[in-house]
Amino acid sequence: MNTIEVMALTKIFDKKIRAVDGISFTVKEGEILGFLGPNGAGKTTTLNMLSTLLRPTSGTATVNGYDILKEPDAVRRSIGYVFQDTTLDIELTGRENLDFHGRLYGLDRNTRQQRIKEVLEVAQLTDRADNLVKIYSGGMKRRLEIARGLLHHPHVLFLDEPTLGLDPQTRRSIWEHILRLNQEKKITIILTTHYTEEADYLCNRILIIDFGKIVVMETPDNLKAQLEGDVITLIFKDPAAIPTLRHLLENKDWVRRINVVASGNNYAAISRMMQVAHGKSNNMGGAMPDIKEHTQQKPEHAVADKSIQFMGEACSKCLNLLVDNGGHRIPEIVKLADGAKIVLESVELRKPALDDVFLSVTGRNIREEEGSIVDMVRRHRIMRQARGQPVRG
Amino acid sequence: MVHPLSWQAIYVVLLRELKRYWRAKARVISSVAQSIFFLAIFGLGLNSFIGGFSGGFGGIDYLSYLAPGIIGMGLLFGSVFSGVSIIFDRQFGFMKEMLVAPVSRTSIIIGKILGGAATATIQGIILLVIAATMGAFNLSPAFVIGVIAGIGAMLLISSGFVGLGVAIGSTLNDFHAFQLLSTFVMWPMFMLSGVFFPIDVFLPLPLQVAMLCDPMFYGVELLRWCLLGGGTNLLGPVSWLISLGVVVGFDVLMIGLGTYLFSRAQI
Repeated sequence: MNTIEVMALTKIFDKKIRAVDGISFTVKEGEILGFLGPNGAGKTTTLNMLSTLLRPTSGTATVNGYDILKEPDAVRRSIGYVFQDTTLDIELTGRENLDFHGRLYGLDRNTRQQRIKEVLEVAQLTDRADNLVKIYSGGMKRRLEIARGLLHHPHVLFLDEPTLGLDPQTRRSIWEHILRLNQEKKITIILTTHYTEEADYLCNRILIIDFGKIVVMETPDNLKAQLEGDVITLIFKDPAAIPTLRHLLENKDWVRRINVVASGNNYAAISRMMQVAHGKSNNMGGAMPDIKEHTQQKPEHAVADKSIQFMGEACSKCLNLLVDNGGHRIPEIVKLADGAKIVLESVELRKPALDDVFLSVTGRNIREEEGSIVDMVRRHRIMRQARGQPVRG
Repeated sequence: MVHPLSWQAIYVVLLRELKRYWRAKARVISSVAQSIFFLAIFGLGLNSFIGGFSGGFGGIDYLSYLAPGIIGMGLLFGSVFSGVSIIFDRQFGFMKEMLVAPVSRTSIIIGKILGGAATATIQGIILLVIAATMGAFNLSPAFVIGVIAGIGAMLLISSGFVGLGVAIGSTLNDFHAFQLLSTFVMWPMFMLSGVFFPIDVFLPLPLQVAMLCDPMFYGVELLRWCLLGGGTNLLGPVSWLISLGVVVGFDVLMIGLGTYLFSRAQI
């Protein structure tokens, strides 16, 4: 049975910005579906339409069997929505926030008290329930919000960037929490994220969305299977030697792709992709400053995630290759490097991660549309502004 | 929406306003203190000045004349700001929590208006007690009835102004506009409401017209009638019934406008 059916859903802001562009998909009961995509791809806009906060420009959807246009009240009663930005009243205590929610959803006193107790335990906030939310940590606020989203026993839970800006430990506990909810309470979940490892860990299926369109919808394993071969990361002693070796490797038929950086922050990854795409000219024109500025706006991404931190440290000194039969190629690569008098600090071999898939899928798109990285960054900005502007709903 | 009104939603939004008011003690203290300065400095200061050369001010102390107006000021500022505070709810995200719930926007806004009116009235009662201890009122048995009527009037007066605040808050997205709102809407309304001087034929005509156009003028008249009763001949040319009518009319208009604009506002 399909809990969610989306039919050609479209949202156009200001008559020109196609934030969500005719997407259709279904979500089965008890499934966790992840929207993966960069900021401004249309993930939140889609959730806002599914939760009846935003009216679609065209198309429609059903949630828990109710039409989002014709039965918004029934849809609202069926869903819990944990927004990207905090929506708690920090002047109230944790318990008061939950109580407010319970009353808003029409729960009677006994049900309310019992469920508040229950969700506080699940969120491990029982002993802090009567503190003002003002003094909660980021992780506690997030757990409280997820707890609140569950108070009215929704069939469907929307989680918009559930672990954005949280430290790895808190993240982990929220992931476990989400999985537990899904398995024990059979709640169907749609979550948005731009952390690929989050999507990989949590989701039954992943929907990669970019420019408001579905790029691909698959299980994480199938997605990864799309990238056959192995990823080899070469770490150089002297970054200046990277172009020399890259040049040597580019001619080998067993090298499928070369990226300066393989994973981590989408923007960094995409910008590196562009470097590969424009490889020979080595000239990014006006695009680079834009990207830098953009990545700096969200420094928490870099801090929140170990792998990104690692990549951040290493990427200036490393080269990633997607190769056939990786284990056998390492000696050959080392020999090539030796011949060119290049010192390698270390060599790593691994299976492709979802990061690599994302890069591969969206990267190809970008290369098809020459120079679109600038448009893309600009478009993300417009999108962000558009979200802040009045929307008739 | 399918369900036009949810009593529980109205109640819980109201409850939240009260809790937040109770916890924001600095705000309460500063606005009460401001009113006390007006009462003490203008009231006592001008009282001796005016009382000195004409043997009184319409048969009562200037302080007595001033007190209902200052209570009105507390209501005006308190209620408009509490309506406009929906800008903050939006800014800090809590509005989304309310809007995604299966209740109508009308329920939310009615809760907000009742909550704002209740907190403004509490503020008004605090001021009433302070003014009474300063000797502004004739504490007779009749005054008790006046106080009860006065509290009713306070609720009516502030409801309309919370509605006005909600209407403004739904239209403006920017809380920097607060300053403009205060300078160009609230202060003129306050100063034209006949707090400091009575309206009479000797005033320049434009001023008389401006005062008669100020909804707060009728609110202050109504409060004065409740709290001073027949103790003064300085009640304006409008009867208490007209004042009451204007106040109620203003309520209907502003609550309607606030609800309408809020229902059309962005997420």
